[in-house]
Amino acid sequence: MAVLTMKFNCLLSLALVSIVSSLVGCSENESLSLSERSIIYCSEGSPETFNPQLSTSGTTSDATSRLLYNNLITYKEDNTLGPAIAKSWHVTRDGKKITFYLRNDIPFHQTSYFTPTRNLNADDVLFSFNRILDKTHEYHDVSGGSYPFFQSVKFPELVERVEKINDYTVRFVLKRNNSSFLANLATDYAIILSKEYAEQLIPTNSHHEIDILPVGTGPFLLKDYRVGSLIRFYRHDSYWQEKAKIEQLVYDISPSKTTRLTKLLAKECDVSSYPIAHAKIAERNDLQLESVTSLNVGYFGFNTKKPPFDNKLVRQAVSLAINKQAIIDTVYRSQAARAKSILPETSWAYDKNTPEDIYDPIRAKSLLEIAGYAQGFDMDIWAMPVQRAYNPNAVTMAKLIQADLKKIGVKVKIVSYEWSTFLRRLSLGEHQSFLLGWSADHPDPDNFFTPMLSCSQSKTVNNRTFWCNKEYDQLLQDALETTSMKKRKQYYAKAMAIIDEEVPLLPIAHSKRFQARDTNVQGKILANFGGISFHHVSKVPLSATNESESNDASVQEVEQ
Amino acid sequence: MAREKIYLEEVFPSPFMQLWGIFRKTPVAMVGFTSFIFLILLAIFAPLIAPYSPVDGNLDMILLPPAWHPDGDVSYLLGTDDLGRDMLSRLMYGTSLTFGLSFIVVIFSLVIGVIIGSLSALTKGVKSSFLNHFLDVILSIPSLLLAIIIVAILGPGISNTVWAIAIVFIPQFIHITRYAVKEEFRKDYVLASRLDGASNFRILYYSVFPNIVERLMSQATLAQSAAILDIATLGFLGLGAQIPLPEWGAILANGLERFYIAPWTVYLPGLAILFAVVATNLVGEGIRHALKLRKEN
Amino acid sequence: MLTFTLRRLTLFIFTMLVLTLLSFSLSFLFPGDTVINHSGQINATASELQLLNDAYQMDENIFSQYKAYLSHVLSGDFGQSMASQSPINHELKALLPATMELSLVALLIAMLTGIPLGFIAAIKHNKTSDNAILSLAMLGYSIPVFWLGLLAILLFSITLGWLPSAGQISLLFEIEFVTGIQFIDILLSDSPYKWQAFSNASAHIILPACVIALAPATIFIRLSRAAMIEVLAASYIRAARAKGLSFNQIIFRHAIRNALIKIIRHVGLQFANLVTIAMVTEVIFSWPGIGRWLIESIYQRDYTAIQSGLLVLSCFIFIVHILTDFIYAALNPLARGNKYGS
Repeated sequence: MAVLTMKFNCLLSLALVSIVSSLVGCSENESLSLSERSIIYCSEGSPETFNPQLSTSGTTSDATSRLLYNNLITYKEDNTLGPAIAKSWHVTRDGKKITFYLRNDIPFHQTSYFTPTRNLNADDVLFSFNRILDKTHEYHDVSGGSYPFFQSVKFPELVERVEKINDYTVRFVLKRNNSSFLANLATDYAIILSKEYAEQLIPTNSHHEIDILPVGTGPFLLKDYRVGSLIRFYRHDSYWQEKAKIEQLVYDISPSKTTRLTKLLAKECDVSSYPIAHAKIAERNDLQLESVTSLNVGYFGFNTKKPPFDNKLVRQAVSLAINKQAIIDTVYRSQAARAKSILPETSWAYDKNTPEDIYDPIRAKSLLEIAGYAQGFDMDIWAMPVQRAYNPNAVTMAKLIQADLKKIGVKVKIVSYEWSTFLRRLSLGEHQSFLLGWSADHPDPDNFFTPMLSCSQSKTVNNRTFWCNKEYDQLLQDALETTSMKKRKQYYAKAMAIIDEEVPLLPIAHSKRFQARDTNVQGKILANFGGISFHHVSKVPLSATNESESNDASVQEVEQ
Repeated sequence: MAREKIYLEEVFPSPFMQLWGIFRKTPVAMVGFTSFIFLILLAIFAPLIAPYSPVDGNLDMILLPPAWHPDGDVSYLLGTDDLGRDMLSRLMYGTSLTFGLSFIVVIFSLVIGVIIGSLSALTKGVKSSFLNHFLDVILSIPSLLLAIIIVAILGPGISNTVWAIAIVFIPQFIHITRYAVKEEFRKDYVLASRLDGASNFRILYYSVFPNIVERLMSQATLAQSAAILDIATLGFLGLGAQIPLPEWGAILANGLERFYIAPWTVYLPGLAILFAVVATNLVGEGIRHALKLRKEN
Repeated sequence: MLTFTLRRLTLFIFTMLVLTLLSFSLSFLFPGDTVINHSGQINATASELQLLNDAYQMDENIFSQYKAYLSHVLSGDFGQSMASQSPINHELKALLPATMELSLVALLIAMLTGIPLGFIAAIKHNKTSDNAILSLAMLGYSIPVFWLGLLAILLFSITLGWLPSAGQISLLFEIEFVTGIQFIDILLSDSPYKWQAFSNASAHIILPACVIALAPATIFIRLSRAAMIEVLAASYIRAARAKGLSFNQIIFRHAIRNALIKIIRHVGLQFANLVTIAMVTEVIFSWPGIGRWLIESIYQRDYTAIQSGLLVLSCFIFIVHILTDFIYAALNPLARGNKYGS
């Protein structure tokens, strides 16, 4: 059918073209080979930068981390840490000195704007981390000087220094033992840049180009980027691991969910991020829906610095009045777990004794009366304009909350802005409450507690509830400094109890990340944590698909 | 001037009644007219007859297909949307937003336009020529583009949309009134009343308006069909009615996400818009057709 | 013809002044600081702001401010987009050609289908085919364009799979940006897949162009029908008939040519309408044109972009308007002496 369609397509366009010129030939074979060697990925937004160090947005790391760069170490299939640029590493007994032994056969991208003369070595590693750590570094303030992920895990405070032992040996010296340090190095943000490229940019005073025209060691290199429209990647032919199977990878930036689905159905893209209408995709034999249980949480946060949500009772009342199950059925189409705390139940640190969440509008009403809001009040909800796995449709969620809160006499106005404006205004604290979420960068539980709710975060980027609790912060600190899993778990359980009592935010759901693709696209794309990778993806010729695939299994689950 | 009825007079129907006589005999126009009246009634009484609330949904009945579908439910005749809101009720309430508002907008701009237009018809010289040129420029800009510009200045929202569209349509009515009034003033019967000593305003009110009212109505139907489309388009683009208002264009935009699993949430509001515009256009065509026939007789 | 040209030229300059004045005043109407609305530099520091104030002469009277603004616009400096912080003239250079391409193709389709249908309706005046064409035309301009676009995608892209639903060309093809008009760029490129790219781009333009063309086509049906009926009633046609010319000869030699001249007068006005429809259609078909960009700028309250986008779009519409006037005057010597507009 598909071949037939293409022929028709060809004929149809031929008819039109022949008016203009009679020279046109419709060479089916070449067209097939070009599309066979390429993948079009319908992505949900434009990256903010091509350097994932500078951003925690999933869209940015999806378009950069695993395509353009490599890490020192990486997560293996079984979720344990494994080698990457570092072929091995050694941690001293006190946990304060970590030595990495680097491979010597890793070449950088050769692009129209940079030609490398040497392979990756210790200088590049030092450059990449010193840019973040050293405030006087020539590149520290380039592109804003903000490294949100590293600030959120307090990386600069933790690392004493990074030393070059020899050309292929690097040592990190920490101020204290930190149990999540290695996990942080394996995240999508801790990538290695090219020092040689950075030096090449200095004489022309075009430092900022390092984050716009990227050079890395990853399986793909950047060919072309048109803001809001497309990103074109070519294969990195001298990649140090097995070469990517496809030659060209195009990110078709399509922020509209419906457009993405339309393009997928009309075969204009091979893979689509965050698809909607799962039922429709499942009923098509030529499409495949897949999901990965990701460590995330979608939540309803309150601005604790602004009335009426500076009052704990109001926060408790509002959270009692929200029917979470209805939200999960409607917004997540039951494809998510109801959240009892910010930590998903799959995390090892999850406390089995976490109390069940309750839906009780009557008690909510009486709490409001105690708080002095018997007549109810007016409030706004800021609904994020983009969809994420943790919140596939914030506006619908806001509408449901609006209806729920109406029952306890609270009038809700829904506010939404374009994504970057939304984030900027949110950080200024213009909101009363907001719908947002958090997607963990690695499986360490600290990656939930610290970035979402710690005091330091209320001053910088992630904690838009502006909630700051000293006792909570101390518990997190204690948890990081101990190496005993059992003790850590206890500390986190206490922290969860504080959140449960104070309700700076109401966790709503832990969802799965979905992706849809054409059945002729093969290979793993969704990584277990966060990002996506196209390294192992290949495309089967159209004719071969029908035989090799059993079409019944159209929904495939990739559990972590 | 009281007049005794001494002779048995042949009664001539007024021009307007003549027009109605012809209009009534055109079946297609009457279908349009009936639909038009139906829509007006619906716009007024929607809150009374709509079975459910347009804003609050029933979460047990999400994305229910229309009743004729095997999975449909008779109590939700046209199905429900993604929040379990009854499509029929939403479309009914939408009538008062999309159709009702466009009707009010057109009446409003008609009144303002006629006042300015007839006043300007009575003036001459530089002022008049300036107005003429200004109107030419404004009229050459499509109404939707102008409405988008005004919404861009005022910011999105249903009330701003209504203002924008009202502002857009006033020049049209000024133009046509001015033109029609000037034309009538050249006619002999106006001269006759003038010789009788009637003031300009008296002539306007008693002699000219009864003769141009049909032309204004015909223009008003054109304006209304454009207004419906403009309100709906702005609603669709998210520049007009905001969530959760059941404006037809906004309902359609809202259903877009589920186009492939719940196509009725897109088909139905589109059909509603089409129906309203066709009804309005049929009335307009009927009036123009009748005007032409009356002229020929 | 010379006086005609001079007349149009003065009109052109006058209208450009009015349009720039309008876009200049938008900066005052929009919320926020005027000089920031002019320049789009939302993150300007105090010293940068001072430089901008000097550049736009904000401390002078309103006329010097306008003059400063005008000189900026004339030198191609529209400021930078508030949302993306990139220069607007770069963005416009990439977007405007795409809109031009789409709207001109749509205009062609609208004229090629609308005018013959209108003629047929006129020739078969008051017969079934006349009524059928008129009813279709009425339906055509009553359909909301965004709905039509969606239905077209559902039918032709999804159900039948004949035509692509989004964009200008499949992203697989790498076409060097030269003029921005896709077809010309493809012909200029040295890609090995040149002709495939060409046919692919043709397939992409069919659906949006047809959707845009529908409403203007119905207007052309009515215009050409009215023009033809008028021409057929003219005395020279009666004279031709009396001389014994066959019906076909009358239609093809005399009637069509004279009716066409009457229609061409309206093309400019219809084009404005068409571009507006194209703006909405660009949103639905993800066409990388100025309309979609403008509507997105409204969402993002990117006032600098709105202001310059409107200016450029209205200039484009107006230039096409003037061009059709010239064509009309060239074809119809009677129009050259006449006053403008009627």
